[in-house]
Amino acid sequence: MLCDGRVALVTGGSRGLGRAICVMLAREGAFVAFNYAKSDADADTTLAAITAAGGRGSAHKVSVLDKPGLTALAKSLDAAHGKIDILVNNAGFGQVVPLALMEESDWDDMLDTHVKGAFLTTQAVLRIMVRQRYGRIVNVGSLAGVKMMQAPVHYATAKAALKGFTESLAKEIGRYGITVNCVAPGILDEGVSDHLPPARKEEYLRHCALRRVGRLEEAATMIAFIASERASYTNGSTLVVDGGV
Amino acid sequence: MDCTSCNSTPTRPDRPHTFFAHEQAACPSCAAPLEARVVLRDGHVVQLIRCTACGPQERVVSHDADAWVRSFLDRGVVPEGLVGDHLFKHTTSTCPRCLALVAAQVVIRKDRVFFLKDCARCGPSEALVSEDAGYYVKAYSFARAGTEPLIFRNTAEHGCPTDCGTCDDHEQHTCLPIVEVTDHCNLECPICIVDNQYSKHMEPATFAKIVDGLVEAEGSCESLAISGGEPTSHPEIVELLKIANRPEIGRVVLITNGIRLGKDRELAQTIKDMGVYVGLQLDGFTADVHTKIRGKDLVKEKTAALAMLAELDIPTQLIFVATKGVNDHQIGQVVELFLSGSHFLSLNFQPVAYTGHGGGTFDHDPNDRLTIPGVIKRIDEQTGGKVNYTDFFPLPCSHPQCVSLTYLLRLDDGTSVPFARFVDFEKHATLLRSSATLPATPEVEDALADVIHEVFARQDEIERGPEILAALRRSLDEMFPKRPLSSRDAFRVSERQSKSIFLHHYMDRHDFDLERLRKCCHHYPQIDGRIMPACGFNMFHRGAAKGPDTPRAKFGRAPFSLPVIT
Repeated sequence: MLCDGRVALVTGGSRGLGRAICVMLAREGAFVAFNYAKSDADADTTLAAITAAGGRGSAHKVSVLDKPGLTALAKSLDAAHGKIDILVNNAGFGQVVPLALMEESDWDDMLDTHVKGAFLTTQAVLRIMVRQRYGRIVNVGSLAGVKMMQAPVHYATAKAALKGFTESLAKEIGRYGITVNCVAPGILDEGVSDHLPPARKEEYLRHCALRRVGRLEEAATMIAFIASERASYTNGSTLVVDGGV
Repeated sequence: MDCTSCNSTPTRPDRPHTFFAHEQAACPSCAAPLEARVVLRDGHVVQLIRCTACGPQERVVSHDADAWVRSFLDRGVVPEGLVGDHLFKHTTSTCPRCLALVAAQVVIRKDRVFFLKDCARCGPSEALVSEDAGYYVKAYSFARAGTEPLIFRNTAEHGCPTDCGTCDDHEQHTCLPIVEVTDHCNLECPICIVDNQYSKHMEPATFAKIVDGLVEAEGSCESLAISGGEPTSHPEIVELLKIANRPEIGRVVLITNGIRLGKDRELAQTIKDMGVYVGLQLDGFTADVHTKIRGKDLVKEKTAALAMLAELDIPTQLIFVATKGVNDHQIGQVVELFLSGSHFLSLNFQPVAYTGHGGGTFDHDPNDRLTIPGVIKRIDEQTGGKVNYTDFFPLPCSHPQCVSLTYLLRLDDGTSVPFARFVDFEKHATLLRSSATLPATPEVEDALADVIHEVFARQDEIERGPEILAALRRSLDEMFPKRPLSSRDAFRVSERQSKSIFLHHYMDRHDFDLERLRKCCHHYPQIDGRIMPACGFNMFHRGAAKGPDTPRAKFGRAPFSLPVIT
């Protein structure tokens, strides 16, 4: 198993890609803690899926914008397990809105959840990773943050910011045996791509060499690999999982 | 990217080895007994031998330097139940009566370190060299390679200390140059090294020549101390300060007793405007202490000087000569004073060296005196643990037995916390291998990043961890503001982020250790171009090691002299 004995924290783990990442890491042997902001029922579903995959995990209702809550979460995981090996900054959401109609609050919500959330969660967990001189941080980006494509400007901006976050942080903390990478999926069959206008999906498929959208598990598999010891020399990279666009 | 045409200050090369210690050896060619310089080089341990008959030679002692150092340090472990002295090592010291260089056994006796000597002419003698054997032995683990000046003023011919100037066998460049600009003084201190003749003020042109020679030898200097006599007695002191205030000199420090400074606002303001630092001699707070050490009650004068320095916010170093039974009970008080003012940048304790015109005859017991650990112990006891014993570590720039120091970070509430509470000094000791301050080099930046992350990671375990993080953040904001500072302003801002306490034990005829002199980094630049390691100069060249009647060593040359005096 790729992550046997590891302790992972996944943000936004109650639904969509987050849930798939939780299940994949559990299947690969990790204890998986995840946070969520809204639905207890969704969180229960993820926990059940983790268990069904033969794994163990815990759910924590803490917003990625709640700094004290994140600090307490990181401390409690460290206290319970003695470490946090893996952090997946996944929390985020999609929104279909052109710039002309975008409200300031839309912009702030998008940037806050994706970028500030990753910053706050990473800062809370980094203390533990620096101390243990080991860590795997995986930021969930998007093809929209890497290539020019039809995507909401604030979403593309937030995902591109995560790429910069990845590269700068990788340089800053590599000395402690902590790698930081970004996995940038193209359009997937569930999750934030759910409500894309059909025309955008069709355009994507026209440019995709595999002529299909991806599955959540395909992105989650890459994330589990990057979070594993097998990817020990991959650092500061953005790995695109898009079927060849 | 650096501009090669602008960045013209040449870089001093590192020594090709780490000087470690002296030990008894024999010439590999003629078997004559002599003292070897032990160095660590490329993982090996090598004896460098200078035989007057056979010339310089070397012998490999071990191919595993780490193991050898461990075994060396193990020699300092006293066998359980041992009665009597435990031999740690050998060195070369001086006979306290005739000043001849003599072999010394370095022994541990009841957790203290003594030199045992036997002069063929004068007989045996003993001297206390450290009040803490554990500190003394461990200090050797702080040995690091020094750096060389760009120019050695002399070549090794007869061996240390005869060839002083410095010779190419010297193990450290000039970290702190001290220029004595006058032999006039407004005090006659019973403890003073210098035999003031009241004969001469150094000409500005001569001083400029000395500074030129210093810059030629060093490229650049972090600081230059101007001393005397009392340098403010010099009628052209401001002119001298202007000469010293040049780009190659980081900071100019005026060492003064403060008598003139306290009442001459115009001079103080000039010093402030020129960006000159003041090293204020402050050995205590009461009339009896001043009278014993400085010859008269100076309470009013010192108070006035301190007030002037505070009012004009002049960056200040306090210098406290610590003397057992005289002022060692006021050590905590000077630390408290030092911590109370943001213009106090450093505090320098000097356990008294009983050498020189006054010091040589000052009443003392060579077996019951203050050494570096004794002063640290008093700092600990008298500050209620604000600064404690384990906050200090040996400075690798000099010989590690010469200087001990701690840095204190200024927290946002105005209090300070010693770096040792949150930094692994031993790990970062190499950064101080050729300086007592931290330059803005890539390796220092790297170490700073390490420190920040260490505190960040362990902030719940470290005493005042979150406050330290906040102070580190404030320091970054002040040093790298949104509107960039000039390099000079940046330097001024950065040095106010922390304070330092140094303890520098100059040597005298009792505890003189040739091994320490070899790596001395406090030097007196001379008129004739020589740059003299301080204790060698004080011991052998001033001709006053035992007091005013001491004959000058045959190889010595007096201050203010050009020709060799025989």
